[in-house]
Amino acid sequence: MPAIEINNLTKQFGDVVAVNGLDLQIEEGEIFGFLGPNGAGKSTTIDIVLDFIRPTSGTVSVFGHDAQQESLTVRQRTGVLPDAYHVYDRLTGKQHLKFAIDIKGTDDDPMAVLERVGIAEAADRKAGGYSKGMKQRLVMGIALLGDPDLLILDEPSTGLDPNGAREMREIIQAENERGATVFFSSHVMEQVEAVCDRVGIINRGELVTVDSVQGLRSATEVGETLYVHVTDFAETDLDNVLDIEGVTSAVLDDGRLRVMIGERPKFRVLQDIDEIAPIEDFTVVTSSLSDLFLHYTNEQQEVRQ
Amino acid sequence: MSVLAVAAKDYRDAVQSRALWALVVAFVGVLLITTYAYVELPEMFGPTGEATFSGLIFFTTGITGLFIPLAAIIVCFKALAGERELGSIKILLSLPVTRSNILFGKVLGRAAVLATGVAVGLVIGLGFGAILLGSVAIPTLILFVVLSLLFAGIYATIMVGLSATTGSTTRATTLAVGFFVVFELIWDMVPLGVVYVLNGFSMPSSFPDWVFLVTQLSPATAYFTSVVALLPEAAVDAGVAVGGGIEVDPVEAEPFYVTPEAGFFFLALWFVVPLALGYYQFTRSDV
Repeated sequence: MPAIEINNLTKQFGDVVAVNGLDLQIEEGEIFGFLGPNGAGKSTTIDIVLDFIRPTSGTVSVFGHDAQQESLTVRQRTGVLPDAYHVYDRLTGKQHLKFAIDIKGTDDDPMAVLERVGIAEAADRKAGGYSKGMKQRLVMGIALLGDPDLLILDEPSTGLDPNGAREMREIIQAENERGATVFFSSHVMEQVEAVCDRVGIINRGELVTVDSVQGLRSATEVGETLYVHVTDFAETDLDNVLDIEGVTSAVLDDGRLRVMIGERPKFRVLQDIDEIAPIEDFTVVTSSLSDLFLHYTNEQQEVRQ
Repeated sequence: MSVLAVAAKDYRDAVQSRALWALVVAFVGVLLITTYAYVELPEMFGPTGEATFSGLIFFTTGITGLFIPLAAIIVCFKALAGERELGSIKILLSLPVTRSNILFGKVLGRAAVLATGVAVGLVIGLGFGAILLGSVAIPTLILFVVLSLLFAGIYATIMVGLSATTGSTTRATTLAVGFFVVFELIWDMVPLGVVYVLNGFSMPSSFPDWVFLVTQLSPATAYFTSVVALLPEAAVDAGVAVGGGIEVDPVEAEPFYVTPEAGFFFLALWFVVPLALGYYQFTRSDV
């Protein structure tokens, strides 16, 4: 049974179509990254899964439970870090956890949870005075209560410094190892790339692609690029470089050779280039998922125009 | 259980409202000054010309009837609209709790906050009055305080119910203040205005019965008539009449709605209708 199953989901706000015919399945036990630029429909989708808002059409189920009819069961089994939330300014961090524990009926120790998310020292301070990152940690702590089967995290690293973002990733991985399915959204590729098994890219309310990180890489032309500084390189040598096995393109650019390679190990390619012209220096650039992300979302926009 | 958890959280949060306690201080201040004036100069306030504990109760009812609506607006108008506008409701809604339990928990929590403020004010005000008078009727006092706390709870329900219909605090403010203006400030004039228009733009010599009915619809008026109904002996003792600005002898009035007991009926109505309205809107809307 899939952890989340979204069928032909559409949500309109007046004239604006926020989500348009979305189909998506999140398998149990995976870490799924839901990617898209701001306003793509990520939060709207999550809000429907949690029954914050109601779909115009289509269905959503979580562990087989209808997200509208059985929302209480869904939320009992789910831990949530929502987007654009606000903490209760006049309540302390510990009081936040206490009422969440009361409502969810779990036997967590508030201090242990605060310890885990790294704000134990601020337990008795009013949350209104917390920094953005501390608030994010507090709400993450609430999401972890009762060892949920599913974690839904909307932009989890918002407001966190790089160290905090790393800690957040570690918690996500630990929860996944415990057995939780993790569904998180982001507009920053690097975070998704670091932890996700699969990635779905959404743009303008429509799913552009769903694939593993590896699959995304190989499905697009962008792979690895070598920047090679060579001496005594003639224009005619370019054809020879192009003939090297594994080279998909080669351009001479400002005294530097830009070579894109496919499946072959780059060391072998470098050796072959060195035979044509001696290499002085080189750099390797792996195209990040950010490039893929831009590639998908921009292309999609061009198609639309 | 989750209703109580929501209520407890809400109480802890809202009881820290500085505006509420500023208003309670003002309430106590007004009570102390006017109670002192009433005890020293009773002929200025009542027809009996003599300061009694019954008189003090009804005198206090007038002040409480103004304080509770104002305090309810301040404590409750943002109860749900504010949480939706800010986004704190997302923390609450992420937990396994139904929207109706959130609404009922909010009503309970805010009613408790308001009742706390009212209780503090009344205990100080009436205690001071009892000391000045040198007399106190404990059963009367208890009944009055209980009814006042109930009225506070009903007003909290009205305001939370209105707040549940919208996700904008601007609209919530308009609704709360609009309700107060219409039902508390100008309500007495509404039926009279209707009669005036129906009578060909002139005042009739006698008013039809429904005028009294409509007049008593105002929550503070219903509260006042309920106090009369609950404490009939004290009312006679203090020479109090019901019917808003219109003088009607409570004993001789015939139709049920002109009798003081009608106050209870209207208070019950003010509990049910806003709650139903808020429930209908809040459980259906996108937050």
